[in-house]
Amino acid sequence: MRKSRKLNNALDACLEQLLIKGETVEQCLQSFPEYADELKPLLETALSVKQVSAIQPRPELRDKARYQLYSVLQGMLPRKSLSSFSWRPQWAVVLTAVLVFLLVGSGTVAASANSMPDQPLYPVKLATERVRLILTPSSLGKAELYARLADKRVEEIVRMADDSELEKVEQTTRRLDAYLARITDLSAIQRIKDGAVTVPAVAESPELKRALEAEKAPLMFEQAERGKEKSAKDDRREKLRETVVHYAFSHPERLRALLSKVPPSARPALLRAIAISEDGYKRALESIDD
Amino acid sequence: MQDEESLIRRAKQHDQTAFARLYEAHFDRIYRYVTLRIGDRTEAEDMTQQVFVNALQSISSFNWQGAPFAAWLFRIAHNQVVDYFRKRRKRAAAPLDESLLVSDSNPQQMVEHSLDIKQLLSATRQLTEAQREVISLRFASELSTAEVARIMGKSQGAIKALQHSAIVALRKTLLVNTDEKVQKT
Repeated sequence: MRKSRKLNNALDACLEQLLIKGETVEQCLQSFPEYADELKPLLETALSVKQVSAIQPRPELRDKARYQLYSVLQGMLPRKSLSSFSWRPQWAVVLTAVLVFLLVGSGTVAASANSMPDQPLYPVKLATERVRLILTPSSLGKAELYARLADKRVEEIVRMADDSELEKVEQTTRRLDAYLARITDLSAIQRIKDGAVTVPAVAESPELKRALEAEKAPLMFEQAERGKEKSAKDDRREKLRETVVHYAFSHPERLRALLSKVPPSARPALLRAIAISEDGYKRALESIDD
Repeated sequence: MQDEESLIRRAKQHDQTAFARLYEAHFDRIYRYVTLRIGDRTEAEDMTQQVFVNALQSISSFNWQGAPFAAWLFRIAHNQVVDYFRKRRKRAAAPLDESLLVSDSNPQQMVEHSLDIKQLLSATRQLTEAQREVISLRFASELSTAEVARIMGKSQGAIKALQHSAIVALRKTLLVNTDEKVQKT
């Protein structure tokens, strides 16, 4: 092998040690003493170049990009339309739920509330929850409801892990994961919506100034209404935050406490549920606090 | 790997949570890659968003057996960078962005860090296109030589040689810049 190729290989191996494994220049040089003189200055430069990994996108860019992706995704989803009748899938769900409610009776719906994933009434429980989500209009209200539903999913994971129903544990963990992601997204979307409501810039032209004077009273009223709306949103955000903080501590702890009690075969699924709850709540809280 | 495979399967069915997970996992690295390639924050932000929109729109064509998802995503980013430079060819190069954000808990170190990065960005402008691509993928996006080779469609040997020549060139430029600074003071 030619010397230049050997040097290229040595440099590449050293960069792997330096960039990925976090070793020092000296440690790298010890692995290749025959090229130490040539490698040393190159690795020092590589260390300087490594600083580019500290470049970070602005936090608001992440939210903006996420929001844009959802808009694109919504546009890509197949739309069901029936002639001129303005039919929406969520209304179909509500209607189905009402029909189910009428057919199976309120007793069945009530009985399903405590059902577990391995029981026949569980789909009724999920359908009822879905209807509640659809009937909750605000993003923050929905996020709060997702947090409450996440609590139910954790309860189910605990029960299923106890019974060694691994497939059900995995399935419910996936639901938990999706709910926590929705809390994150809904909080971010609400913030973007709030940010989009800006007070118009004051116009300089005399005509517009006069027009604005004439509009002053309604504007003041609007501002007061906006203030009330903002305060209500702040309250809802704070309430959501309290709920999420509470579950962020209690859920992983509850799942961890179960680790020593379940059979070894159930532990990997439980560890995954713990990791998902820790990570999901962390993201959700970051999104609420941003 | 298994997880990413299942996420991609779900993302192909327009599962927004799955796509959000993929986006979270790769967003920062794609942003750093684009920033280092073009050196302009605003453009880099727009382009990073567009990379993910393009990925979302064409995810059904992604074939897991062909290449890892990251390689596919960086390929989209690479194509957009190439397209950006093609459109800009007749115009002057964009000035270096002063407002790149770096993460550091210490504000003073953050300022020093930003200055170092500005110098580095300036130095990378002296590299050839291929050298800059290798440095961006290897250092900003922290990809392995094998991954860089796959994205650039070259052998690992060729990537190692490019990496070597790029670091030598960067060293020369950075040393000259430091000497000029010393002479001025």
